[in-house]
This record gives sequence, C-alpha cells and structure tokens, in this order.
Amino acid sequence: MRSLYSTKTSIRTFFEMKDIITLLSPRYLAIIRRGLSKKKLIGMSFFAGIGMAIWSIIFYVSYRVLTYFKHAENIGDFLSYKLLSMILLTLFSLLIFSAILTALSKLFLSNDLGLVHGLPVSSETIFISRWIESSFDSAWMMILYTAPAFIAFGIVFDGSVLYYFFLLGSLLLISIIACGLSSLVVMPIVLILPATRIRSVFAFFGLGMFILLYVGFRIMQPERFVNPEGFASIMLYLRTIGMPSTPLIPSTWVFDTLKSSLESQYFDAFFHMSILFSFAGALIFLNIVIARHIYFQGYSKSQTAQSRLIEGNNQFIYRLMNRIPGPVRALLIKEMRTFWRDQTQWSQLFLIAALIVIYLYNFSVLPFDQSPMKMHYIENLFSFLNIALAAFVLTAIGARFVFPSISHEGMAFWIIQSSPITIKTYMWIKWLGYFIPLIILSELLIVTTNILLHVNPFMKVLSVITMLCITPGVVATGIGLGAAYPDFKSENPTQTVTGFGGLMYMFCSSAFFGSVILLETGPVYLLFKNHFQIVFFTGTEFLFLVFCLSLALLICVLMLFFAMRFGERRLTQRMQNTSLDDDHSCQNQQIERVSSGAPSATRKGILLARVNQIISGYANRYPAKKVLEEIHSCY
Amino acid sequence: MIKLIHLTKKYGHHTAINNVHLTVNAGEIFGFIGPNGAGKTTTIQIMAGLLLPSSGNVLLSDVSMNDHPVKSKQLVGYIPDRPFIYEKLTGIEYLRFIGDFYHVSESTFQKRSQELLNQFALMDRSNELIEAYSHGMKQRLIMASALLHDPPIIIVDEPMVGLDPVAIKLVRDIFQQRSAQGTTIFMSTHTLSLAEQICHRVGIIHNGQLIATGTIDELKASAKKGTNDLEDIFFQLTIANTREE
Repeated sequence: MRSLYSTKTSIRTFFEMKDIITLLSPRYLAIIRRGLSKKKLIGMSFFAGIGMAIWSIIFYVSYRVLTYFKHAENIGDFLSYKLLSMILLTLFSLLIFSAILTALSKLFLSNDLGLVHGLPVSSETIFISRWIESSFDSAWMMILYTAPAFIAFGIVFDGSVLYYFFLLGSLLLISIIACGLSSLVVMPIVLILPATRIRSVFAFFGLGMFILLYVGFRIMQPERFVNPEGFASIMLYLRTIGMPSTPLIPSTWVFDTLKSSLESQYFDAFFHMSILFSFAGALIFLNIVIARHIYFQGYSKSQTAQSRLIEGNNQFIYRLMNRIPGPVRALLIKEMRTFWRDQTQWSQLFLIAALIVIYLYNFSVLPFDQSPMKMHYIENLFSFLNIALAAFVLTAIGARFVFPSISHEGMAFWIIQSSPITIKTYMWIKWLGYFIPLIILSELLIVTTNILLHVNPFMKVLSVITMLCITPGVVATGIGLGAAYPDFKSENPTQTVTGFGGLMYMFCSSAFFGSVILLETGPVYLLFKNHFQIVFFTGTEFLFLVFCLSLALLICVLMLFFAMRFGERRLTQRMQNTSLDDDHSCQNQQIERVSSGAPSATRKGILLARVNQIISGYANRYPAKKVLEEIHSCY
Repeated sequence: MIKLIHLTKKYGHHTAINNVHLTVNAGEIFGFIGPNGAGKTTTIQIMAGLLLPSSGNVLLSDVSMNDHPVKSKQLVGYIPDRPFIYEKLTGIEYLRFIGDFYHVSESTFQKRSQELLNQFALMDRSNELIEAYSHGMKQRLIMASALLHDPPIIIVDEPMVGLDPVAIKLVRDIFQQRSAQGTTIFMSTHTLSLAEQICHRVGIIHNGQLIATGTIDELKASAKKGTNDLEDIFFQLTIANTREE
C-alpha cells in the first residue's frame, strides 16, 4: 500500500514537472524563434555594447574605490566590508521591490493567464511555472549589473576560485529568497485589493523611495567619506559610517558568506550559505503550499476590472480650448487625459523631476573655487557645456515619452486612419503637444543653471536661443522616427525605444544637437578670446560668428521639417500597404493557393516556399498537413 | 451612394481583391458576404480609407477616396470588426473626441450624445473608463460614435460580433431606420440570416472576386432548383467557384 502510494506520488510529481516544463516552453521557444534580422542584430549589438560599457564602468569604479580603501590604514577593510554590506542590502531591497512588481504581472495580470488557467493543470503547477519566470525576469538584470562590484571585491581581496563559487551560489539564493518573500506578500494582498491597483501603488511607492534615497544620498555628499581630512575627527568619521546590520535579514547571510570566503574561512562560508539554502528551500515549500490554497482565488479576484468613475464631460477644458480647431483640440485633450490616467506614464515624471533637481543641485555645488582657471571663464565654459547636457536630457526624455507616442495609439490607430485628418496634421498636432512642455522644461533647466553659474549676458542669450532652436528639432526627431518605426501591437509601447527606431532616434538626435553645438564652439571660443566683448571682434571674426550661428539655425529648421516629413511618408506608406491586422513581415504575404492547373515547376516552387515559411514559423495560416497533401498531389 | 470602381489590392504576389466593381445606391443596405479570407475586410478598409488600393477607386457620394481622403472620410461612419479604442477615456469623452474630428457643434453634440448613449444603453456607464467596458459595450460605443455626426454613409465590418440578442435587434432596427432616411449602409457579415432580413442587396465575394450581386430573389432565381435561402446560394456559389479553380 505504501509503495503504491509512493509510486502514485512519483508519477504525479513527474507529470507535474512535465507540465511545468510545457508551461515554460512558449517562453524559450519565442526566444529561439525570434528570427534576427540585420536591423535587430545591429540594434542588439549596440545595446549589448552599451551594456558592456556600463558593466565595465561599474567594475572600474568599484575597483578604484576598493583599492583606495585598501590603502587606508586600520579602517580600509572595515570601509570595504561596510560598502559590501550596503551594496547587498540595497540589492536585496531592489530585488524584493522588482520581484513584487514582476510577480503581480506574471501571476495575476498577464494576458495569457486566461488560456493557461483553462488548461487541465493544477493551479500550483501554474504558480510554479510563473514563479520561475517571474524570478528570472525580476533578478537577472540586477544580478548582472551588481556582479562587477562583487568581482572587484574578489580581485582586490585576492579571493580564490571558491569565492566566486560562493558568490554565484549566494546571489542565486538571495534572488530566490527575494522572489519567494515577494510572492508570499503578493498572494494574500491580491485577495483584498485589485492587482492593478497594487502594482500602481507599489510602483509609485518604490519610485518615491528611490527618489528620496537618491536625493538623500546626494545631499549627504558622499564624496566626503573618501576624504577623511574633511572630518574633524576620525571617530566622527567612523560613527557616521558605522551602522549595525541585523542577522535576521538574508543580505547579512550573503555578506557573512562572502566575507568568510574572502578571508578563506570556507567552512564558515559554507555554513552561512547553507542558511541561505535552507531558507530558500523553506520559502519555496511555503509558497507552493499557500499557492495550492489561495493562488487561484487571487487570480479569479484579479479578473474583476476596477471601475473608476470620472466626472466626465468636463466643460472647463473644452471652454478653455474653444477657439482651437476641433481635431487639434480632440488630439491634445486625448493625449493629456490618456497620459495622466496611465500611472506608468506620469509616475516617470517624478523620477525625471528628481533627477532634474539633482542635476541643478550638482551645478550649485561645483567646486569652481578649487579650479586653476579663472572662475569667470570656467563658469561660462560650463554654461556652454551645459547646453549639450540639457540637450541630452531633452533627448533622453524624448526617448521615454515622445518617440513611443505614436506607438501608444496601439490597435486604436484605426480611429486616426479613418478620421477626416491627414497623417501630416496628426503628426504636427502630436509635435505641438510635446513641444510645449518640453520647451518649458529645457528653458527652465538652462535659465536656472545660468543663474547658478553667474554667466555673462551673451552666454545667457546664446544658451536660451540655442535650446529654443534645438528643442523643436529634437521633438520632431522623436515624432518623425516614432512614426517611421511604430509598433502598434506591443503591450508596452515604451519599449519601442529599445528597437532599431529608438536607436536611430538617439543617434539622430545626438548628432543633431551635437552638430549645432559644434558649430557654436567657434563663436564661443572667439568670445572667450575677446574676453566676452563683441566690440573687440574683428570684421572676419564677426562674419565667422554670423555664418556659424546662421548655419546652426539652418540645421535646426531643416531637422524640424525633414524629420516630420520622413515620418509622415513612412507611416503613410506603411499604413496604406498593410492593415493593423497583418504583421508587416512575411505573414503579410498571404500564402497563395496552388492551382492544380499551374505548371509543375511553379507549383513545386510555391510549395517549397510554403514549406520554408512553415519551418521559419511564419506560415501559421496554412496547416502543414494541407501542404503535405498538396505535395503528394504534385507527384 | 458608394461606387467601387475596378478595385484591386495586391500584397506582393498575392491578390487580396481582384477587380471588384459595384455600386450601392443611396438608402440601400448592401450586405457583403464571403468566407474567411475572401477579401471582405480588405475591401472595407479600402472604402474607409485605411488602405490604398493597388488600382481602382472608391467614390463616396461622388467624392474620390484616392483624391480627397479627408473629404471622403467626413461622409463616413466606420465601424470595424474589433473594438480597439482608447481605454483611458470615458465613454462620453470618446464621443467628444470623435465629435471634434467631424466638427460636431457643441449644442449638437450635447443633444446627440445623450440620444445615442440612451439608445445604445450606455448612459449609466458613460462616465466610466472604457477599460472597464465589456467587448459588447465597446462595440456599441463605437457604433454610437460612428452615428454621432449623422453620416450619409455607414461602413460596417461584422456589426454583430460580441453583441447580445437585444443589441443585435437594436442595431438591426437602427440600420433599417437610417436606410429609410436615405443613409447608405455597406455591411460585411457572416450572419447570413441578418443579411437576408435587412439587406436590400447582397454581394458575395470569394477569393477576392465578386462572384454574385443582386437581391435575394435575383440570386435565388439564378441558383439551382430547390434553393431555399441565402445560405444555400452562398454554399453553391462558393463551392462552385472553388471547383472552377
């Protein structure tokens, strides 16, 4: 009887494992069958390059900091381990936060859950497969980009191979622990609150925490910690950085593991890692038991759409925009409303606002008094360089909001297509909608930094006018290229910026403002040379100044119109040759019927093409069985 | 009035519609039927200005869609088969959005939006975000928006998808009322019984070609003996057309 029970349990476990693998298969099949075109490869290589660069920078900075600490007598190692503890605590916090958001999406909000829950598999099997996906998605990037810091520790502290073994193991286990804790939190909360609301609240809360931490961190001026001479006493220094860490949190166990392995105390390292391992195992077990009882109830509850009543038909805004033509008013109001009602959109504004505050704060604490150059010159030099920085900030904001704006229409783009409005008019209205807030933002940045830098009148005017001329071009580049490379089917249109079109946008926008600033370098240099007095300019120098500035203005005007025209043509062409129902890749070419009267060579050719399409995964409209029947009929 | 003049649409080597030529008179309800993949939606999207034909033209009340797309679209209320709309707007805001495109005046909008929302049983939900609407509600909202500017031509793709029997009857009645008032309605449908009930004339498309047009009686007369209804005619013609190839 007992052996029969254990056999049944083994068989059940085997089929559950098989189900879990089957449920995970669409994910890895989608990756394998992605079909990399040349454009995608270029885009991926570019972003891989950026990723490698960031990875290298993190490693380099970590290595330099640790090497500096190593040379500090008595307190060097203490500082290094304190840093390690802080990194691990931060990593653990971020992992939990990320895992909560990912778990909410994967376990309760994903579009394919309706299909999956309709399959003859237990809810705990579904939970396990989704949890595995969620854990991977939430953790891989963070682990990847904190790894260089840990590797730097290994190098500076002469860690052995076993250190890296313990590092890999403990990072994996802390990810599992973070995801396990997150799903334990998420599953019961979903029974009480709507899943979408929880996600918004967490996203907002997390963003707020990040902003507070970042602002607090920056205001603390952490650069002071690496210079002990900046403190009155070494005791104050140690007290400032000495914060006890609790043994109850997993990041402490990871810290103990890594510290022990760096000090070649491998038995202790193994012991601490065992704690991690057993806790991770216990969490997985607990999650499965709880999921068996409440996961499906939570999923079922999350299917209830939250109903939000909005005081509609707000007359005020329509009265305000009464004189504006109907289509312009319609689109501007639609953009504003959909923007502010989508928390994923406007919550990013808080992050940008915080980053801008930090940006301005950094300018206010620049140590000009320690520079060998005269303050007057360096302030004006920074003002000029600031134009490039502000333009870059503008480009980055454009990448986040302007470039994906056309794609944000999604499958509802048919409304624009069928409305009595041209694509050109539509794009210009979009441009206007983004130009107004961005010109205010960019001018605010420039004017504020100019005030902080105490620049001379010419530089003030030059920087304000330059931004006034650059901003329309940057917005036009975003709208134009966003229209040329839209993705109306994406669930998350914001990610379109990571594709080929987004890459082109960043490149074109950077080249555009880069060329404008480069053209202004000559006149600015002459200004410096003549001690900021235009009256000292020679005739040739003045002509050169006029020529450079005129050319810069011309580039701005050309960029504005060419970018919009390019986008308009590409979008019109695309829309008039495909419908939104068809993918514009080879699925668009519906498979021809092979007429029995057609010449044999033609029939064979068509069938071969069809077979190739099926193999490549595109010919899903024509069952493979039918193709085989037709091939047989050829012979 | 709608005129499709030798309309052809090709995607690469594949011909989606081939030389479709027909006229729909003012006040007529024209049913456009055919199997899946026959070319119905392609034809409708060309008529609504979402696609450009490879050759041929569409005249809507004698205004060419190729030459004057904006003016043509002003005359049309288009209802697609799938209700993708802006989920972050409320029902009334969506109607306002559409009304602004068609230059519906404030007073007309206030009056007509109330009428349509009541007619399509959406009044109680008009201040809710569209993301909370069911499929059928979204479809009804789109229909309401298509009628807001009182267009002389209505182009509709599969009007009954996602509608309950009450809504189906409502839509049927509205189409018949509008037709009696002179509105031209071009409708593609799989529901042959609906086509039989309300369409003045029917066109059958198969493999991109218009294989038959006429009233139900005319089609019956030209079909085999013992043909009872449109479904019989449809199967006879489409199977025959397949065999010819």
